[in-house]
Order: sequence, then structure tokens, then C-alpha cells
Amino acid sequence: MQPAELVDYAKTLDCIHCGLCLRTCPTYRLTGAEPSSPRGRIYLMRAVAEGQLEASDATYRGELDFCLACRHCESVCPAGVRFGEMIESARAGLSAVQHRPVLARLARWFGFELVLRSRWWLSASASAMRFAQRTGMARLLGRWGEALLAMPLVPPRSERAPLAATHGARAPRRGSVAMLEGCAMRELYGRVNRATVQVLTGIGFDTHVPAEHVCCGALHAHNGELDAARDLARATIAAFEAFGDDAIVTNSAGCGAHMKGYGQLLRDDARWRERAQRFSRRVVDFSEFVAAHAPTAFSTGAVRELGTLTYDDPCHLCHGQQVRAQPRTLLELAGARRVELADAEACCGSAGIYSLLRPADSRAVFEGKLAAFEASGADVLVTANPGCHMQWESGFKRAGSRARVLHLAEVLACALDAPAARRDG
Amino acid sequence: MRAEVVHELREILGRAGLISEPGRLLTYECDGLALLHERPELVLLPRTTDECARALRVLHREKIAVVGRGAGTGLSGGATPVKGGVVLGTARMRDVLEINAVDRYARVQAGLVNVDLTLAVEELGLFYAPDPSSQHACTLGGNAAENSGGPHCFKHGSTTRHVLGLVIVRDDGSVLDLSRPAVDPVGYDLVGLFVGSEGMFGIATEITVKLTPTPAVTETLLAIFTDLDAACDSVSDAIAARLEPSALEILDKLTIEAVEASVFAAGYPKQAEAVLLIEVEGAEAEVEMTLAELSRIVKQRGAIDVRRARSAAERKKLWAGRKGAFGAMGRIAPDLYVADVVVPRTKLRELVAATTRIAREKRLKLANVFHAGDGNLHPNISYDRRDADEVARVLRAGEEIMRVVVAAGGSLSGEHGIGIEKQAAMSLVFGDDDLRAMCRVRDAWDPEHRMNPGKLIPVHVCREMRNAERPR
Ligand SMILES: Cc1cc2nc3c(=O)[nH]c(=O)nc-3n(C[C@H](O)[C@H](O)[C@H](O)COP(=O)(O)OP(=O)(O)OC[C@H]3O[C@@H](n4cnc5c(N)ncnc54)[C@H](O)[C@@H]3O)c2cc1C
Repeated sequence: MQPAELVDYAKTLDCIHCGLCLRTCPTYRLTGAEPSSPRGRIYLMRAVAEGQLEASDATYRGELDFCLACRHCESVCPAGVRFGEMIESARAGLSAVQHRPVLARLARWFGFELVLRSRWWLSASASAMRFAQRTGMARLLGRWGEALLAMPLVPPRSERAPLAATHGARAPRRGSVAMLEGCAMRELYGRVNRATVQVLTGIGFDTHVPAEHVCCGALHAHNGELDAARDLARATIAAFEAFGDDAIVTNSAGCGAHMKGYGQLLRDDARWRERAQRFSRRVVDFSEFVAAHAPTAFSTGAVRELGTLTYDDPCHLCHGQQVRAQPRTLLELAGARRVELADAEACCGSAGIYSLLRPADSRAVFEGKLAAFEASGADVLVTANPGCHMQWESGFKRAGSRARVLHLAEVLACALDAPAARRDG
Repeated sequence: MRAEVVHELREILGRAGLISEPGRLLTYECDGLALLHERPELVLLPRTTDECARALRVLHREKIAVVGRGAGTGLSGGATPVKGGVVLGTARMRDVLEINAVDRYARVQAGLVNVDLTLAVEELGLFYAPDPSSQHACTLGGNAAENSGGPHCFKHGSTTRHVLGLVIVRDDGSVLDLSRPAVDPVGYDLVGLFVGSEGMFGIATEITVKLTPTPAVTETLLAIFTDLDAACDSVSDAIAARLEPSALEILDKLTIEAVEASVFAAGYPKQAEAVLLIEVEGAEAEVEMTLAELSRIVKQRGAIDVRRARSAAERKKLWAGRKGAFGAMGRIAPDLYVADVVVPRTKLRELVAATTRIAREKRLKLANVFHAGDGNLHPNISYDRRDADEVARVLRAGEEIMRVVVAAGGSLSGEHGIGIEKQAAMSLVFGDDDLRAMCRVRDAWDPEHRMNPGKLIPVHVCREMRNAERPR
């Protein structure tokens, strides 16, 4: 492969080296090191493309691995650098030139090719994880096991059952939507999926869930497995074409940001490009959809009983999709007692599987967030992404905090189903 | 560098405080001016004054050159290690040490990012006035070293007016504590001397700065012009009328287009040839009077519309657009050369036109965005550093702009410093005697010329001084 193909060279030229991204970058904040900043990483990518630096350089790989791909830098970049896409292609380039140790390759294959591609393997792994957590066998798995034990307990099989294919509207019908059930969301937060259905049907939408769909490929792309990501994108597009032009609602910020970018991911695939673009235009985050269609359906007061809430922007919702106002507005309109979280747009350190791959760095990033939460005086942390959900839950557990974590859909579901809501509806 | 020295430094600074891998060092080869670069041998990132002092003692003993670095947003190559050696960064020294709201000062570590100080004191009804457009990235240490300005320095004055005290680690690792929060220095004003010294007098590790009370009323106007000259003339008129707004900034058409295409889109009308962004602060009656006067002036000069920001959010957006302007130029070409000349404010129109002419002659793309109130122009030239011919034309254009401006009674740099970029041009404004005087001041601080060597003083003067020092 030519050096210039190992990174997205053209995009590196968009960076004008002004440094306005530095302060937003979680890894620069931790280290103060230029190579651990977006500007520094782009400089290294460009150096690789121009043949100044070998792509096999250990520090190059180290800096790419260290990045959380939170895309905070994109939100402040005046030159419009698309860092998220750049880090994905640079990581893909790395996979092409670098020889990972056998064990790491095996783990990647197991995760990306097996588990995240099959419902059976997903469910089996979730069961195995739960077993390892409950019996303490996880302790035998070393570093991975420790990460596993730090995670919230995987729910029992009964809560991990797939959603039914169709859910009829429970209020005067306004239309229909297709919903992404997701991979991690289904296994770890089935209750969030059920709450999502409850809200969507509760505001008058028939909700369809494609039965055989497994994963949108976001985790693959973020980790540089672009070929697998394209495969999964094509499968996802095909699965959702069955629902005509219905909106595709997702309650996972990471999946939403990724699926909105399918057009870009498949831009060189003549047969799929247009289908991908059409698909991407249909994708909406849960909060966007609800705010657009039924923002006032939740004014029951039931939400007040949850205590004081604070909303933490998932990176791939605020930086990846520019969705900031809708979740806050919905909470306000639902009558929540809400306080702002300082630095809500900063990454919590979850970053997909980053928290498993680099637990120490992930926790270091989280520390600042925890301090901000404690200063906010809130009782409940509201999020909109399964990775962040898990990060906050394990963080609270570690800190011995009694604070709770809820997905926005769970909060709204509780408002919707209060008796008052039925009266209004 | 000898392995034992690296080891010794690592002992002092810890693993996180030292970067030695060639790949990672590459990212320190330049600052905001990517045109000129040189890779350092080592980067040191101390956490405290003490660590910094101990490290500098080792470097002194080993006679290794030291280049200070804050966030590397400088635009004159100040943090570029042109003579090799060690880059000493303050990026891990970012603590707020003391805030005294009553006496209105703050003592902070030099690596604190400019805006973080304002955020830390906002609730007390105070702010830190110098606000470079890079304020979300640049450090107070870098600001002090460059004597940086910002849009609001028109009213509040540049950094030197706000620095009360410093802790400086000198070339030999000794610590000079000048951190009294007093306004009137007794004896020689060493703090004043250090501000603007571009990293050549030592490393500032702590800074005590003045905090300014948040004004009672702040109002922002956006005047829209179909003619850049008219915008310039209204600024000249406002100055002549002795009006004192807090900021007067002009953006031309190309800049407006770039900003409006970016995340910082501020709602500047795209069909305008120029906009003049005005801010006025103070007590209500005074603000209203100044605003009325300014509105009259801009309309007289042909502004087609004058908009007033209706909320704090709107004001913030107008400013975010202005401050994102340099970066937004990244949409036009991979690299940007930012000139920094200061012109007499009665000659704004002619000299802005001259910069445009020079760029046109050299087939270069030029945008103008500038601190009009101070007469501080930023002709921005877009280029691609991979095109050697274009780079040569950019450098020639930069030099010609400085010549034209100096000939008209202006100066080389308003706020970005001389660094390496304007080093040769120093002779346009200073005679050799002046430059020799500057050299003697530097000798007093740094007799071995190890602190940020190869900057500011033109090469021929340095050489001459060195020859003169040789024993006859
Ligand atoms: C987008 C953009 C907008 C800008 N807008 C403005 C503006 O409006 N006004 C303005 O004045 N400038 C502006 N600049 C230029 C630049 O931001 C300033 O010069 C700033 O003060 C540099 O700070 P820094 O921390 O990045 O310093 P660096 O670039 O890292 O260093 C600058 C110089 O200071 C020295 N130095 C740094 N820290 C120390 C220290 N602790 N002790 C001693 N020496 C030190 C370095 O050796 C170097 O010579 C802008 C730059 C960019 C990229």
C-alpha cells in the first residue's frame, strides 16, 4: 500500500494547525502532550502520508489507539476538519500494515467477526459474561476480567429477549417508524429498548423492528475494521428498506451518528451509494424524533418524583449529530427538575469498547465528569447512549455513589404512563 | 543528546513529563506557522516551577538550547526550535493558584489557557480582559511572552497592561520571583521588560494578572457595508471623533464566506463586502450615547444596515464568528500566512488597499480581518506549503506588506511577535544601534544565548555582537 493510502490524506490538508481543538481533547487534557491532541494526530497522519514517518512506528499506533474518537474537536474546528472519519481511516490503514499479537488478533476476530455479527453469539456472550460476573470466574480472566467485574451486571436472559417485530400505536395513530434494536442495547439495556417502544407507540406511532438485524457496524468502523463495517452497513440498509420511507429511530447515539454517515462510508460503492444516502436521511435520534412530533406529550409531573436530573451529552449525539437542545427541551417540557452539568459535552471515557481496551485511561477521563456530576447536585444522570450509560453506572458503583443512570427514553416513558398522561391522551 | 542526560531529566520530570520518541517529537516541530519547522531533540513538560528549575539546571550544565512553548498557537514561529535543543512546554502547568476578588488579581500557572481564567472568575463578576482570537487555546505564558492583544484590547490595552507579576525560571535554573500583585513596580520594571520577550529571557512559570470588573452594560453592533473602503473610513472617523468603543473589528468578504461556511457561522450577510463589528461597554447612558454616535458615523459612510445583538447568545455568536475567522480560512487552502502590521489609523483605507494590490500582483489569495480600532491589520494569505513557488511568493508578499506599512509610518507587528518570521524585517524599523541595545538587554538575561536562540534579533546583528565579544 502507498503511504498516502494509509490515511485520508486529502482530509489532513484541511487542518490549518491553529490549535483551537487542543483544549477540548480528552487525551490532551490528561497529558498536555501535543501528539495526543487532534492537531498532533493529524500532523502524524500527514507525516505518514508524506513519507516522513513510518506507519509501523509504535508511537503513531499508540497515539491513534489512545484517541477516544469522541469528535469533540469537530465541534470547535473552524476549518471543518472531519476528524471522526480521519481516525477511522487511519486505524484501518494501521490494520493493513501492522502485525498484532496472535491473541489480540484472535480477540478482535472473535468480537468483530463473530459476536457482533450474530444474534446467537451476542446472546451467548452476554450469558457467559453474566455467568462470569456472578460466579466471580471473571477474576481468572486477568485484565479483561477486571473490566468485566467493573461493569454493571449483565441482565438475566428474560430481560434480553428480542423485541416483537411490530408494536401498534397506543394513542391516536400518526404514522409508523422503524426502530434499531441494536446489539449492545438489546443485551445490556433491554429496558431502554422497551421504554423506547413504549414512548413511540404512546405518542401514536406503529413501531417496527427488523427481526434479523444484528449490528450497524459502528464499533467496527471506530476501530478501523472498515470492510466489516461496510458489510454490516449494506445489511442494515437492506433490512430497513422493508419499511419504505419510515423514519429509522435509534436510541443509541453512537449508532445514530454512524448510520447518518453511511452515505460517506459507502461513497465509493457505486451500487450502494444512493441507497446509503437515502437510508442516512431517514435516521433520527430518539430525542430528535420525539421533540419533532410530540414534545408536549409528557407534562404529567411524574418526572419530578425521580428527583433532580442532569443531562450528559453523549459525544456522538452532540458532536456527531449536533443534537443538543432536544433532550433538554423534552426534559423541561416533561416538568423535570433539571440542572445543567458542567462541561456536559466532554467525553465520559466510555467511547465504545475503549473502556474495555484501556480501562485506566477511560477512568482517568471519567474522573472529571464524576466531579462535575457531584458538583451539580443531581440525583439522576440522564444519557442517550448505551456506552455512556454503562460508563456512568460503573463509575457510580466504583465511587460508592447512590446516583442513578437513566436513558432519556426511560424518563419519558415514566411520564407518559403516569395516570395523568392517560387522561390527557 | 546523551542518554544519561535524558535519564536524569526523566528522573526529575517523571515519565509523563518527557517526550523523546522521534515520532511524537515531530508534532513539536512548528507552532501556528507551519511554514518553518525543525524537530526538537526532546520535549519537557514539567508540572511545577521546581521541576522546571531543576530541569533547566541540567540543561544549563549541558549547554543545551531551550525553547519555551505554551499551546503552540503562535503565528511567528516563536515556539519553533530553529536551532534544535529542547522544547519546554507548560501544557501540564495549568492550575489556578489564587484568586483575590477584592484586590482583583489572580495568580496562575503559566500554562493555563486564557479563557479558563475568565471562566474561573466569571461568577465573581470579573474577567480577564486580553482576549486573543485564540483564547480558547493559547496560554497566559504565551500571551505574556508575545504581549498578545485581542479585539477588546482596543479599550483595555494589551497583555502588558494586565500582568502584575511573574515567577521566572532563568537560563541557569535559578528562580526569579517577581510576583507582587502591586500595580507600581519599585525599581526597574523587570516584569514589564519580560512581557513581550518572546521566550528569550527565561521561562515564566507563574503569572499574576489583573482582573477586570464585568461592565454593567455591553452592546454589540454589526454594521454591514457593500464597500471595504467605507468600513475602513468609518473606523478612521470614529477614532477622529474620540469615541471609545471596546472593540472595532473588520471582516472582509472572503473572510465572511469562510466563517459562514464553518461551525462558527455568525449570520454575517454573505453579500456584504465587509462588516464592522463594534462593541461598546460601560454604564448605560454612556453606552447608548456612544452607540448613537457610532451608528451615525457608519451610516454616513454608507453602511446599508446596522444590527444590534438582541441577547447575550447573539453577541457570543457574533464574536465566535470573528474569533473563528483564522481557522475558518482552512477551508480555502491548507495553510495560512497571517501578517500582523500596524498602520496609522488615518491611513487604514490606503494600506488595506495596498495589501490587496500586493497579493494580486503575486497571484495570491488574500483575506482581511483585523483589529481596525488599533490599526492592526491581519492580511491573511492562503497557500499550500507543498508548493515551493507559492511559498516564495507568500514570503515576498509578507515582506512587501511590511515595507509599505513601515514607509507609511506603521510597524511590523501588533501582537504576534517577531519570532523567525519577521526577524530580518526588524532592520526596516530599527537601526543597528537600536538592535545592539536590545542584544545587550538579552545578554543580561541570557548571556549564553540558549533561550529561544535564533529569534527576533536579525542574524547580522547577532553575528556582529558575537565577533565583538571575542577577545582581541
Ligand atoms: C486562530 C488564532 C488566532 C490568534 N489570534 C490572536 C489575537 O487575536 N491576538 C494575538 O495577540 N495573537 C493571536 N494569535 C497568536 C497566538 O495565539 C498568540 O501569540 C499567543 O499568545 C500564543 O500563545 P501560546 O500559548 O500558543 O504560545 P506559543 O505559541 O506556544 O509560544 C509563543 C511564544 O511564547 C514563548 N513562550 C510560551 N510560553 C512561555 C513561557 N511560559 N515563558 C516564556 N516564554 C514562553 C514561546 O517560546 C514563543 O516564543 C492567534 C493565533 C491563532 C492560531
